[in-house]
Amino acid sequence: MFKKIQQKILPNEEKPEYNPPKIPVPPLKNDFINELKKIIHSPADLVIRFVTNNITIAFIDGLIETQSLDDNILARFEDTSDETPSTLRERISIPEVNVFDEMIQCIDEMLIGAVLIHINGHPQVVLAKIPSYEKRSLEAPENESQVIGTQVGFNESLNTNITLIRRFITNPNLCNEHFTLGKETRTSVSVLYIHGIVDEKHVNTVRQRIKDLDIVDLIDSAILAELIDDSSSSIFPQTLLTERPDRFCDGLLTGKVGIIVNGSSMGIICPFSFLEFFQSREDQNLRWPIASFIRLLRFAAIIVSIFFTPIYVASLTFHYEVIPQPMLVPLSESRAIVPFPPIIEALFLELVIELLREAGARLPTKVGQTIGIVGGIVIGTAAVQAGITSNILIIIVALGALASFTTPNYMMGNVIRIIRFPIIVLAGFWGYYGIMLAFCFLLIHLLKQSSLGAPYLAPFYPPRLKDWPDSIVRLPLPFISRHSVNSRSRKEIEKSKKKKNTKKQRQNSNLTPENKEKVIE
Amino acid sequence: MKKKKWFLLFVIACLILTACTEYRVLERISLVTLIGYDVEDGDVTATSVVRQINPEFESSIEIHSETAETSKGTRVKTDLQSAKKLMAGQLRVTLFGDDLAKEGIEEAIHTLAMNSEITTSIYLAVVDGKSKTLLEGQYPNIADVGQHIFNLIDHNINQQQMISSTLHEVVRDIYASFRDFALPKVKKSGEYIDISGIALFKDGKMVGSLPASDSFYVLLIRENINDGTLQLVLPGELAESSKNPPNYQPEELPIAIDAIKTKRDLKIINENEIDLSISLDCRLLEIHSSLAISDKKITEKIEKEINKKIESEIERIIKYSQEVNSDIFGFGEHFYAFTRNSKLTEEKWREIYPNLKVNVKIDTEIIRSGVFE
Amino acid sequence: MKKTLSISESELINAPLLFFIINACQIGVGIHGFQRLIYQDAKQDAWISVIISFIFAHFIVFIMIKTLEMFPSNDLYGIHQEVFGKFIGNFFNLIYIFYSSFAFLVVLKNYIEVINVWIFPNLSATFLGASLLMIVIYAFNGGFRVLVGICFFSFICTLWVPSILFIPMEYSEISQLLPLFDNHLKDIIKGAYAMTFTIIGFEIINIVYPYVKEKNKVQRYVHLGLFATLLLYLSIMLISLTYFSGPQLEKTIWATLNLFSIIKFPFIERVEIITICLWMIIILPNLCLFAWSTHRGVIRMVNISSKKFIWIFSTVMLIFILFIKSRSQINHINNIFSHFGFVVVFVYPLFIYLMALIRNSFLKRKRTN
Repeated sequence: MFKKIQQKILPNEEKPEYNPPKIPVPPLKNDFINELKKIIHSPADLVIRFVTNNITIAFIDGLIETQSLDDNILARFEDTSDETPSTLRERISIPEVNVFDEMIQCIDEMLIGAVLIHINGHPQVVLAKIPSYEKRSLEAPENESQVIGTQVGFNESLNTNITLIRRFITNPNLCNEHFTLGKETRTSVSVLYIHGIVDEKHVNTVRQRIKDLDIVDLIDSAILAELIDDSSSSIFPQTLLTERPDRFCDGLLTGKVGIIVNGSSMGIICPFSFLEFFQSREDQNLRWPIASFIRLLRFAAIIVSIFFTPIYVASLTFHYEVIPQPMLVPLSESRAIVPFPPIIEALFLELVIELLREAGARLPTKVGQTIGIVGGIVIGTAAVQAGITSNILIIIVALGALASFTTPNYMMGNVIRIIRFPIIVLAGFWGYYGIMLAFCFLLIHLLKQSSLGAPYLAPFYPPRLKDWPDSIVRLPLPFISRHSVNSRSRKEIEKSKKKKNTKKQRQNSNLTPENKEKVIE
Repeated sequence: MKKKKWFLLFVIACLILTACTEYRVLERISLVTLIGYDVEDGDVTATSVVRQINPEFESSIEIHSETAETSKGTRVKTDLQSAKKLMAGQLRVTLFGDDLAKEGIEEAIHTLAMNSEITTSIYLAVVDGKSKTLLEGQYPNIADVGQHIFNLIDHNINQQQMISSTLHEVVRDIYASFRDFALPKVKKSGEYIDISGIALFKDGKMVGSLPASDSFYVLLIRENINDGTLQLVLPGELAESSKNPPNYQPEELPIAIDAIKTKRDLKIINENEIDLSISLDCRLLEIHSSLAISDKKITEKIEKEINKKIESEIERIIKYSQEVNSDIFGFGEHFYAFTRNSKLTEEKWREIYPNLKVNVKIDTEIIRSGVFE
Repeated sequence: MKKTLSISESELINAPLLFFIINACQIGVGIHGFQRLIYQDAKQDAWISVIISFIFAHFIVFIMIKTLEMFPSNDLYGIHQEVFGKFIGNFFNLIYIFYSSFAFLVVLKNYIEVINVWIFPNLSATFLGASLLMIVIYAFNGGFRVLVGICFFSFICTLWVPSILFIPMEYSEISQLLPLFDNHLKDIIKGAYAMTFTIIGFEIINIVYPYVKEKNKVQRYVHLGLFATLLLYLSIMLISLTYFSGPQLEKTIWATLNLFSIIKFPFIERVEIITICLWMIIILPNLCLFAWSTHRGVIRMVNISSKKFIWIFSTVMLIFILFIKSRSQINHINNIFSHFGFVVVFVYPLFIYLMALIRNSFLKRKRTN
């Protein structure tokens, strides 16, 4: 199970770094402008202005804050010919001002919102960073809505997202490591974790995997998530993608590692176990009996969703004996005019449901709703009347689809829906035996998975009793250990062990209570 | 690596191709819900009630009757008659005709028990007359004879009006050394089907029968029950003892009781004598209005009369079973279980049983009596 | 090839998991019809035979672990090589390898037979065998931890099954257990001997032992696992004895399945069909761990990768399955296996314990000299 990760962690040979050719900054004004235009292919939004005879500024329109440009940069220039980059740097009163003597580097910075200030005769450029990009305002998360709890979601800006997280966790131990990924896109990626809570092993793994990536572009965090998964060939997601900062912070606080990608409104949380995909942040906000009930309902829904249609197919194709007498007549009568065997009927209907779902997701919201109604009612009724499907199967399939949507995570919900198809096929060929084959296969597959090397089926296997109160049920908060054993740091575990030991010692020798070690929450 | 994957795909494809199994799609088979066996000139006649599912008639019942040397032979013949494959997995009841029952049904039961398709929870019953005539009769009020007979037997067994006769219990008793079994008896009476009595078996052959009204007593002797209604006729003198006696003197006083809890206790006295004591907690359902049942004395009197009555009935029934030498109450097993090194054998018990002295003692207690006095 | 095992930290398991391993390995196909075999000898005292057989099993396990404790990081195969030297040791290893693969074959064939008889009379045994072997191969390639995980989930997924076995008690007659102790002790012991086929499986500790993290807790959890199996077997035995009449039980081939047959729920009938299919997850740990046990032995003699091994092993097993066809052949094989199993599991550990003791004292004397 761990072979793969070890391989990944092992120091591999140096891979070729991103090493562009170095071009020195030309000291002369016109040379500089020509060079600049040549490198970035003189786009339409490149603005070049001459402030004085000596000073030229260049920036990309829209990437910088014009107000700041006027107040903090243009107003500071003095018409003296003995201006040098270093004196200018000191005069400009914005936080990030640098002096570079290399063109490519300058342009990289310009592309993320810097103003280039060139002084004729100096082979250096002063860079003043005043970035501003249009961004979405903070809105309620759409895909992971919840009734009770914060209603704020990530947006596409890395900085805003980190600010949001800092607002939830005001803690000097919150670490933020920065990476740049993608040869062409050069996307900023932040790895966040709380020092002292997180298991360093996981941070190292993430760091190593990100460093080892050799990709051309990175548009969304979902791609990154797939790339750093333990087994990207598996249908099951092994890292959580969330658009909720509270869920993200919850992950960090339980000792997980978070990754945020610039330009993506989804944060990645890893390692994540299979069970946690079916838990919602909201469960923590509700009272425990209600939260437990809802969780159990969700797990029942998975079973219904995966196994109901196959059981129907298997029972009607092979195991007519198991149908109780009262159900026999309605079942057989509803099937009487259907010309296909149950397996075809079920596959057809499942496909219809999937089509409806996909169409609803692609169409604009208003049309999407209509499609749902039209599809559900018109196709459903028509199919039964035309004798293509039995009405009992429609109920079962609809129930299965409905149940799959109770999964709080969209990625996992998709998985639950898709794995039904092979099981239906197996059930249609070999009845309950086929279903059982599929179940065993699924179980072994899940057992084989891991997330950053942590077992995927934790806390059930390996059994970690300490985490059970917050698994398929949620017991009252005092029963729940805040840091799941799965992702707890060594230090933390040793601490708690020590605590136990000191308690024992105290009982034995009646020592005065030493300063209690407080667990960092 | 690629080769391996192709190899895997090849193996899986082969598997799927070689492993087509017999489809039994629900609406494409005929479900046998009831089979009746008769004997005719040494051959077996099987009459089966078959549920057919057709798009035109929705679902219909067909009755097929065929004669062959073995019961499977009849099935093959019936299959030849039917448009769809016959499957016995939904079989609920098996009936045996009178003649067959007298000849012995052990072999038929063995065949049933051998078949993994058939569950051991099906009911067995004996038909008064031929099962073929029973099943082929016209019943305007009954849509599905198979289901009707099943429901008839099932609810009576559940309400403890009739002895339970699942295949499992019959097989258990047939092979047990000191126990005989009894089956319910059904009868066609005009446009209806009745449970008419209990058929007593000895070594798999029917040797006698008791009327249906005796089934409560049989149950009472066999096991502890908690349901079942009994109608009794007590002597009329009881009415005299009431506070305001009625103007006329009824000759007899019918009452009805409902068992709430009974406890049967057997005690071996010696090799040829056994004590049977039954405590019966019951609820009074019906009684003449003049009797003040809240009066303790009267209640006690009624209880005593009930005891007497039940005792005499039970003695009569036991006597009958001794006459036909069919130990349906499991006394023999009790003897075997509670005597060490008894060396009891089946033959020996057959000799002992007709002369076994059973001392019956009933202890009735009326616990409740409705909401209106 | 190698004498001591080198097991990486990540492959070690916690001692409590032994409970599930022992339990999952013991419960397999034997449970379907063991009542009949024991009843033939011990009659209504068959449940006493069950208890006696387990007392003996506890004792044997105790001896086994004592033997293993002398060689803390070695399994039975290694002990053989250490005690008897390479040549004779390998001979014993061969026997044990043969035993493990034989057990694998017996479990597989019996399960296929049950499916053929109860559910799919026409489904080819080749397919059933191949599909089960596919699953075994898939699990086997996941490594030891995955196998233990299967044991664990096999236990969890079937926890509900014993509870519905109480439903048939509606039909049970307690008096069928009486008279108590009416049979000769000899017969009861014979019955206990007939338990062999059902009870074996716990000998997997011979191979698992070096993989356990906390060696001092091994005894506790292995005995606990055995005890849990005892409770299950005993309750099934008692229910069967009261539910069936004696001669009926003697004629019932799969009494446990017949028990299921009478259970009816409002939404489902014929529970035995479901439980037979569910049994796949019960026999899966059996198959996986027996295959694994064979593998551990084979790699001591031949240098073979685990992937290659499992494919070859499965192919051989599949071929053997094709040769066993009729019920009488299966019964014959079960019979041979249970005698062979008795020797390997119940007698042989005593011998190896003695040998190990002698060797150790010999070495000690040598050292003091």
